[in-house]
Amino acid sequence: MGWYVTLALHGIANFSRGVSTSEPSSVVRLRSEPNPKEWMTTDFVIVRSREELQHAVDARLNGVMIIGDDCVESLQEIAELPRLISVSGKFDYLSDGDIIGFHPASKRFRTLYRRTSRHNSFLVTDRCNHYCLMCSQPPKDIDDRWILGEIKSALPLIDKNTRSLGFTGGEPLLDWCEFMDVLTICRGELPHTAIHVLSNGRAFARDEVVAAWAGIRHPNLTVGIPIYAAVDHIHDHVVQARGAFDETVLGVLKLKDKGQRVEIRVVLHALTAPRIVETCKWFARNLPFVDHVALMGLENTGFAIANAEALWIDPIDYQSQLATAVDLLVSAKLNVSVYNLQRCVLDQSVWPYAVQSISDWKSGYAEECDRCIEKDRCSGFFTSGRPRRSRGISPILAS
Amino acid sequence: MARFQPVEAFHPAEDTLQLLPFRFERAEGHYLVSNMVGDFVRLSSDELTRILDLRVRPGDGLYEKAYAAHLISGADQNAQRQLLAFRLRSRLAFLRETTPLHIFVVTLRCEHSCPYCQVSRQSTDRSRFDMSKETARRALDIAFESPARRIKIEFQGGEPLLNFALISTIVSAAKARAATADKKVDFVIASNLALLDDAILAFCKANDVLLSTSLDGPADLHNKNRPRPGGNSYELATKGIRRAQAVLGPERVGALMTTTEASLDRVEDIVDEYLRLNLDGIFLRPLSPYGFAVKTKAFRKYDATDWLTFYERGLKYILEINRCGRHFPEFYATLILKRMLTDRPLGYVDLRSPAGIGLGALVYNYDGKVFASDEGRMLAEMGDKTFELGHVTDSYRSLVLSDKLIELIGSSLTQCAPECADCVFETHCGADPVYHHATQADPIGIKPLSEFCARQKGVMRLLLRLLESSPQDAAILRRWGGM
Amino acid sequence: MDVTTSDVLVEFSVAVQSLGALQAAAYRLIGTATCQIDRIADRWVCTLTPVSGSKKAPQGSAALEIHFLDLVTDENLRERIALRTDSVRNVILSLAFGSLAGSSNNDH
Repeated sequence: MGWYVTLALHGIANFSRGVSTSEPSSVVRLRSEPNPKEWMTTDFVIVRSREELQHAVDARLNGVMIIGDDCVESLQEIAELPRLISVSGKFDYLSDGDIIGFHPASKRFRTLYRRTSRHNSFLVTDRCNHYCLMCSQPPKDIDDRWILGEIKSALPLIDKNTRSLGFTGGEPLLDWCEFMDVLTICRGELPHTAIHVLSNGRAFARDEVVAAWAGIRHPNLTVGIPIYAAVDHIHDHVVQARGAFDETVLGVLKLKDKGQRVEIRVVLHALTAPRIVETCKWFARNLPFVDHVALMGLENTGFAIANAEALWIDPIDYQSQLATAVDLLVSAKLNVSVYNLQRCVLDQSVWPYAVQSISDWKSGYAEECDRCIEKDRCSGFFTSGRPRRSRGISPILAS
Repeated sequence: MARFQPVEAFHPAEDTLQLLPFRFERAEGHYLVSNMVGDFVRLSSDELTRILDLRVRPGDGLYEKAYAAHLISGADQNAQRQLLAFRLRSRLAFLRETTPLHIFVVTLRCEHSCPYCQVSRQSTDRSRFDMSKETARRALDIAFESPARRIKIEFQGGEPLLNFALISTIVSAAKARAATADKKVDFVIASNLALLDDAILAFCKANDVLLSTSLDGPADLHNKNRPRPGGNSYELATKGIRRAQAVLGPERVGALMTTTEASLDRVEDIVDEYLRLNLDGIFLRPLSPYGFAVKTKAFRKYDATDWLTFYERGLKYILEINRCGRHFPEFYATLILKRMLTDRPLGYVDLRSPAGIGLGALVYNYDGKVFASDEGRMLAEMGDKTFELGHVTDSYRSLVLSDKLIELIGSSLTQCAPECADCVFETHCGADPVYHHATQADPIGIKPLSEFCARQKGVMRLLLRLLESSPQDAAILRRWGGM
Repeated sequence: MDVTTSDVLVEFSVAVQSLGALQAAAYRLIGTATCQIDRIADRWVCTLTPVSGSKKAPQGSAALEIHFLDLVTDENLRERIALRTDSVRNVILSLAFGSLAGSSNNDH
């Protein structure tokens, strides 16, 4: 949804050997060199050249990941390696500590975790009980519960120094029981890693779900929950589900009653931005105890494109309302951040709260931005989907 | 293939709306309405009746306004009811921290003779008007029996610095006990600062003691209110303030003013005086009708209307100062704004229902008698013992759970009082059983006759007008309220 | 009961006007005017006597009558609101302070 890199970075391996299994997915951790002290059967050493390939053969390595465009299938050395996967050079970003999920039958793989990235996120499921008009990850009605198993396998392999990890979807709490297990594993394997879950929050209207969540006693767990208006039918319409507002607000209350960390998110578009002052006034008055409020510019991808007519609004046209809304929240001592909006379309009073939030792999700048003095602090634009620019984009030349 | 439903598909079915409790009062050509937790909206007469009859539909604007203000709900919805319950609990959470304030009247002696002073004037050489160590010890016992995790000990008099030795003893003893009792203790000395010296200041600094003094305005105004042999009360007060600020830091020195008839036309001068002395804000408050004020009939010299004019003028002047960039809050407005804009329970004991007498504050007199409030003690000086709860030899529980106190608190609850129970401002107001007893011989009072009520409504109406009419002032006021 | 020239008489039908609302309106008038409520046949008869020297009193009999009628209208409205909302009010109060609140975490 714009804050985390959705690691659906995927591809098809050129070939593989020795990685046969009845599981739908095999989790593989990549290493730049073998480390006998913490070697796991899931570790594969990266090989990028023939020279490295020879080293691997000489060392009789049991797991090798070949990255490159040279055709290596017919090489004699290959025959001596018991387990290997070969992928094309476009995955050259893969490096030590990264984790992939590999399907031997189809040779498909997905990058699950990149150690050097600041925004790692696991997609828990593509299923959802909402159908948001602007959904950037449109739901699919498929049985993908195997993903939870894949995540559980990957978690012990993740670098223990990872600062934060996200869980998103779809709706991660659809299989809430098993998802709680995932969080428990996080607590055990990654006690120093902050966990951020994106959810519509409706599961928390049920006491047993909140009890289970609180029962994990995770030291640093936050759930980000969208609330799009102070009025039931407006929120329900945006998320395309009757009764959503009532359950979501109740869920937030129950979570905070149990001392859990909650962030409220609002995606700004034509149905939510014109009312943002009333909505934030409502947050300040009714939910002042939430840990954070995130106000987010629209990413024009997924369903947002299908509903562009109904959703598009130029950020310049809600600039002053957004400034008033932020001031209201700040006065009520709420923590506020503004994501995905360029500094030139924001009122200057909002700049202290504007965060560089668009992941580097899908962000860019326009030509005129080269002359802008705020470029280094600006979040830039989404390059994903069909980028749509405000008429207010122009370089800021002097203060 | 994605299929999206229009907004009409999410409208509630006909006849599934429910009204939530609300109150109202007439304003100019419309109604001011508040919900169960005190959120305000303004409605025309037509809008009010439409809401009452539930003749509202999603998309008509009024539905949205009423829903966001918790005036209407879906009959089968739960969140708003839970939200209102949650917020109500927050607003009353002060009840969990019973008796955070403990006032020690360490001496009745004083060298001033202010016409409105509620303390009987005893000359400085009669030490039988000093609190004894034994009384202080027992009072401390009671203070530490109160459940509040953080208590404030306030030293008053007479002039408390005349018995500084005892203050010093009490502070040391309290700090020692706080360490083992897992309580936090704050200290304040309410003094005229005329007797301030280096030793006292060093002590305050070492023990983090706040100094609170009186400053009624510029020299002529202040001296008129506070006659001192030598006529130099103002000079001593300002010198004391500056000296204390230099040693303790400006944030540890506060001043309170008392509005007399002479102040009514001088509010700008008073504010300027506070600014000049680098004080961090001002508390504009009216005279209370006790003690010498009654004897000198000073309290009848201005009524609620006069005071509200003074207050509005002062507040507007202060807002202008804030608009020019200097942060300088008016503390009474700040209190009311916190009540109106947030649900955070406040430590201020004088504006709450159930009343703060006994439950919020206990006063230990120099002679060992215990009172439910400072004003209650002053009434006793005039022979009225209605608010005398007992003696320092009693336990905290027996004092606070006494039939006398429960009766006084129970009978003055604004939630049940005539007119208060229907008042649009009730959730932001409080009971003042001492004031109403003193002026109407009844803890609840007939509110149409109550100057307290008239002042409260006046301040709240003024603040609401300012919040709505001027965005710049509203931003300033909201920041005060969020502090 | 003497009716002086400055008194105002306002009548209501017992069939449509509750006594409680009249009494509440009379209460709000304390300090401005005294209000004596009598029942004569099927009518409530309210005798309003302005309090001399009251700063708040509306000027003139017509203004006092209008003021009193407004107060009665307001009290009738309050009765209607109470009728419609007292039960949900009790639900909310019990949620806030009753046994349903018992299981909640008290540390906010």
